[in-house]
Amino acid sequence: MIFPLQPLGDFGRETGLVLGVLFGMAFGFVLERAGFGRASNLAAQFYGGDNRVLKVMFTGIATTAVLLGLLSSLGMLALDQLTVPETWIGPQIVGGLLLGAGFVVAGYCPGTGVVAAASGSIDGVVTYFGVMLGTLVFGAAWPYLEGFYGSGGRGSVRLDQMLGLPFPVVALLVVALAVSAFASVERLEGWLAKRRAGTAPDRAPVLRNGSLGIVGLMAVTGVGTGWTQPAAAQPESHAPGAIDAFTLATRIVDDPTGLWLVDLRDPGSCEAARIPGATCRPADDADGQFLADLPPSRTLVVYGGADLVVPPGAERWHGRVEVLTGGYGAFQHDVLAAPALPAEPTLAQLHDWQRRSALQGYFTGSTAAPPPVAVTPRKAPASGSTRKGGGC
Amino acid sequence: MSPLDSKVPRPPAAFWNPYVAGVALGLVLTATFLVMGFGLGGSGAANRIAIGAAHVVAPATVEANGYFGSFVGPGTRILDDWLVFEVLGMFLGGSIAAYSAGRMHLHVGSTQGIGTATRLAYSLGGGILMGVAARLARGCTSGQALTGGSVLSLGSWVFMFAVFAGGYLVAPLVRRQWR
Repeated sequence: MIFPLQPLGDFGRETGLVLGVLFGMAFGFVLERAGFGRASNLAAQFYGGDNRVLKVMFTGIATTAVLLGLLSSLGMLALDQLTVPETWIGPQIVGGLLLGAGFVVAGYCPGTGVVAAASGSIDGVVTYFGVMLGTLVFGAAWPYLEGFYGSGGRGSVRLDQMLGLPFPVVALLVVALAVSAFASVERLEGWLAKRRAGTAPDRAPVLRNGSLGIVGLMAVTGVGTGWTQPAAAQPESHAPGAIDAFTLATRIVDDPTGLWLVDLRDPGSCEAARIPGATCRPADDADGQFLADLPPSRTLVVYGGADLVVPPGAERWHGRVEVLTGGYGAFQHDVLAAPALPAEPTLAQLHDWQRRSALQGYFTGSTAAPPPVAVTPRKAPASGSTRKGGGC
Repeated sequence: MSPLDSKVPRPPAAFWNPYVAGVALGLVLTATFLVMGFGLGGSGAANRIAIGAAHVVAPATVEANGYFGSFVGPGTRILDDWLVFEVLGMFLGGSIAAYSAGRMHLHVGSTQGIGTATRLAYSLGGGILMGVAARLARGCTSGQALTGGSVLSLGSWVFMFAVFAGGYLVAPLVRRQWR
């Protein structure tokens, strides 16, 4: 796997931000040349006579989906490392309707407002200023909107996962959907031009057939390649995973708000002592219904006293569930207890001990685990090959 | 006399064929995904600029707000964000494209049917609607429909159909503007 490169993490933040400007420039350039700096071109979409918005956008989506599918079929792209916007059905239906209404009133969507402003359009500047005011309106209305905003969450769900089909196959379906939509709107454009005694938008069959032909060809190649090299089976997203105490402790330290951590022992034991950051189960909820109501934007980790069977509530939940192997007992033994160091540790054992000591200190508040007698790491037993050259 | 000194204005370059523009858009978005691991956005910068400006004016109110509170506070720099730089780039790229195509001039567009003041009022009103909508939907036509649609996000496709539905529903009410 080569892609994604993720320079914001890998090459440092500044490089990432410079790349942000560069990708933004390319995006803005294409949008302007596509005609999206002019409100009349954009609003025309909603009167049927010129469907430029649909054509550009749908071709863009199809091209991207096809290329991502093809690269993943070729083993060059890890699809599951791409950020997929989360699904929140209700808010996205209402937000979409409102945004469409604002779009036809203003004549721009937020991004095209920027491009219009860049070409000297004052209505574009005012539109983007309006978008900023809209954020403030949203914030002011937050107490009334919060409940709805957090409803209908399904986590990151891709259509290919939902349909149980490979990504390139769904990308090919997107191309087919796009091409049939284009055929329909071109027919509509011709019919309306005749009725309104105007002219239909310019047709360039060579450019259209050439562009869509290339995209279609890549889509078929992606499906064919994926067919001959079946990808590794995707893990069933609803089957709960297992997490060991040490990994869990590391994740709590690294990203405390990336998890829902729920203690499923009886409320009394939970109140007495629990893993930091864990919430206790309500006493009257044997079914675990409250788990199903958590927003699925984080990973849910549940634990009992020892190993645990996942309650039905967690099965109904839409996000990823992990069960702490060995439960609270394992956490006490592996994280809260001082780690032991063998008398003659290898370098790997010493590193492991250092990590465990740091975690034990973090969770127990002790400044240091009991010190070992001065140790020198033993050389690892000789293996078949020796590494040549330096390196870390 | 070089062509640049010519007093006769050149007609602006034609817009690209929409299908060619769509493929170009797809190539830009694919490149962004391959390098960054995420896609493009349009309204995230407006969100951050607005909250940042409000925070300068009324810090206590903004920090106490349930939605804004997570964006501001000790140790946060609200404008230090990829989407802000990306939108800055959009402005630059759009300027280069408009200038090189001969379309760069200060103007208020589409005022034929309704006049300048009404046109600007519509722009502002539509913008405010979209600002609320983009927060609710967690993205706009760029970040949700285009970007999320390309990685086959269920919610992005739902959002995209809702955008078209909303546009077609309201279009008859503002028809006069687009004559």
